[in-house]
Amino acid sequence: MKTLNSTFGLSLQRGNRTMSAFTPTVTGSGPRAAIQRFGAFLAGMIMPNLGAFIAWGLITAITIPNGWINLIARGTGAIAQDATVPFAAQVSTVVGPIIVFLLPILIGYTGGRQVHGQRGAVVGAIATMGAVVAPVALGLVPPFTTGITAPENITGLGPNFLAGLIMGPLAGVVLKAWDRLVDGKLASGFEMLVDNFSAGIIGGAMAIVGIYILGPIINFINGGLGAIVDLLVESRLLPLASIIVEPAKVLFLNNAIGNGVLVPLGVQQAGTSGGTSILFMIESNPGPGLGILTAMLLFGPRAVRPTVPSAMIVHFLGGIHEIYFPYVLMKPILVVAAIVGGAAGVLSFVVLGGGLLAAASPGSIIAYVLVSAPGTLLPNILGVLISAIVAAVVGSLVLGFGRSEKVAMDLDEANATNAANKGRKTAVAGS
Amino acid sequence: MTTIDGSSIKKLVVACDAGMGSSVMLAGQLKKQLKKNGVVVEHSPVAQIPKDADVVVTQAGLADRAKGVVPDVPVVPFQLFLGDPKVAKIVKAIQDGTTVEV
Repeated sequence: MKTLNSTFGLSLQRGNRTMSAFTPTVTGSGPRAAIQRFGAFLAGMIMPNLGAFIAWGLITAITIPNGWINLIARGTGAIAQDATVPFAAQVSTVVGPIIVFLLPILIGYTGGRQVHGQRGAVVGAIATMGAVVAPVALGLVPPFTTGITAPENITGLGPNFLAGLIMGPLAGVVLKAWDRLVDGKLASGFEMLVDNFSAGIIGGAMAIVGIYILGPIINFINGGLGAIVDLLVESRLLPLASIIVEPAKVLFLNNAIGNGVLVPLGVQQAGTSGGTSILFMIESNPGPGLGILTAMLLFGPRAVRPTVPSAMIVHFLGGIHEIYFPYVLMKPILVVAAIVGGAAGVLSFVVLGGGLLAAASPGSIIAYVLVSAPGTLLPNILGVLISAIVAAVVGSLVLGFGRSEKVAMDLDEANATNAANKGRKTAVAGS
Repeated sequence: MTTIDGSSIKKLVVACDAGMGSSVMLAGQLKKQLKKNGVVVEHSPVAQIPKDADVVVTQAGLADRAKGVVPDVPVVPFQLFLGDPKVAKIVKAIQDGTTVEV
């Protein structure tokens, strides 16, 4: 039976699909599903809090000493070249506390909530606090870094997202185990007393564990990750990341990689005082997807071409990258265009000096403009455009400029449309 | 192949990885299309699909996970977020109250 299912079937999944028609439900325990699940767990701690990230990024871009307000005031001669506008100086005092405390605590809170609801969220937040202040409490210096002394007070702390990602779920797990243990065993009327004090005691204990045990370990890992990132950026090897990131994206690991891994690393790299990071842009760059959609619009299977223009708008302006993944899965060779386009974009960001202040999520060109620093706006836009053009050219190339279309696809509709459009096709192929 | 009776569907859930992006977009479209039929259309992360869903619509790349989360609910995997024939089929079945094979 020729169904619509097989009409739009992916060559990657066709074997699996045929089996699932005859075998019981797929268990969802394959390696890809497992990685997706773990990634979704990490991203699930970050993504609900993206509003706070964006608020931080906007306030930073506008109010820091080299932010928009001060640059414009200096440019118009309203203040001296080394002065700052009082409003900007006052508002910018929230920049440090938000990134050092609020964001890691929100992550830990959400991580605890994922494990054990509201009670898990509360202990997750408390526990995160312990690991966040550990460097001050114990006078820890991040390893692998030179010229940095241990922070004497909280203003010397860096953004410690790993603290939230680890302490939040862990504290949630501990409280969940306790609640399971006492479930149904409490004398009537004592539930509230036990519930409140178990959360308070376990949360407090986890904060102490955070200071003495996990804080130092997290500090060590943060130092190592920072050193690796610095090495990749300085040696200009960062474009190679696209070889892994772009194929992973189209397998719906985009949130796992972007929000689960690169956003925490990016914040770490950007620091607390308005620095920028390219790590925010490796996964979220909307350029390669736009390029692929352009190639698809010009030379893709005729049956799907009409769906492409609206997909381009949703992808590039709306920032929902998922919309272009099916086109790549339909024509897996297009992943080459994604990789080359992505790498070209990252290379442009590195060479031109691009970078974002905060996460661009969703990965829309509008988000890119809003969270660019004044000095990185132009390089960022250029990098996105370069990656789009490169991906479009490579994509058109691997699609054989439309010539291999009939051979590669078994689309009934496409074939029918082809027959109807024979004249036009020849014209395109010959041009 | 699962057979779905369009007239029995009261709650349709669109799932994506984070439940914040593509699923919200598609759920918005389906909500408009199914408004008259009194069907509740929701979006959710694939890991947290509500158990009382009558049918789950999700991208083929996430279908295995959706089936793992709600093994008893029929999962309709689609390819394209815009204009996918499988999504159109299920919408039509609900609107007309007919059965459909997915």
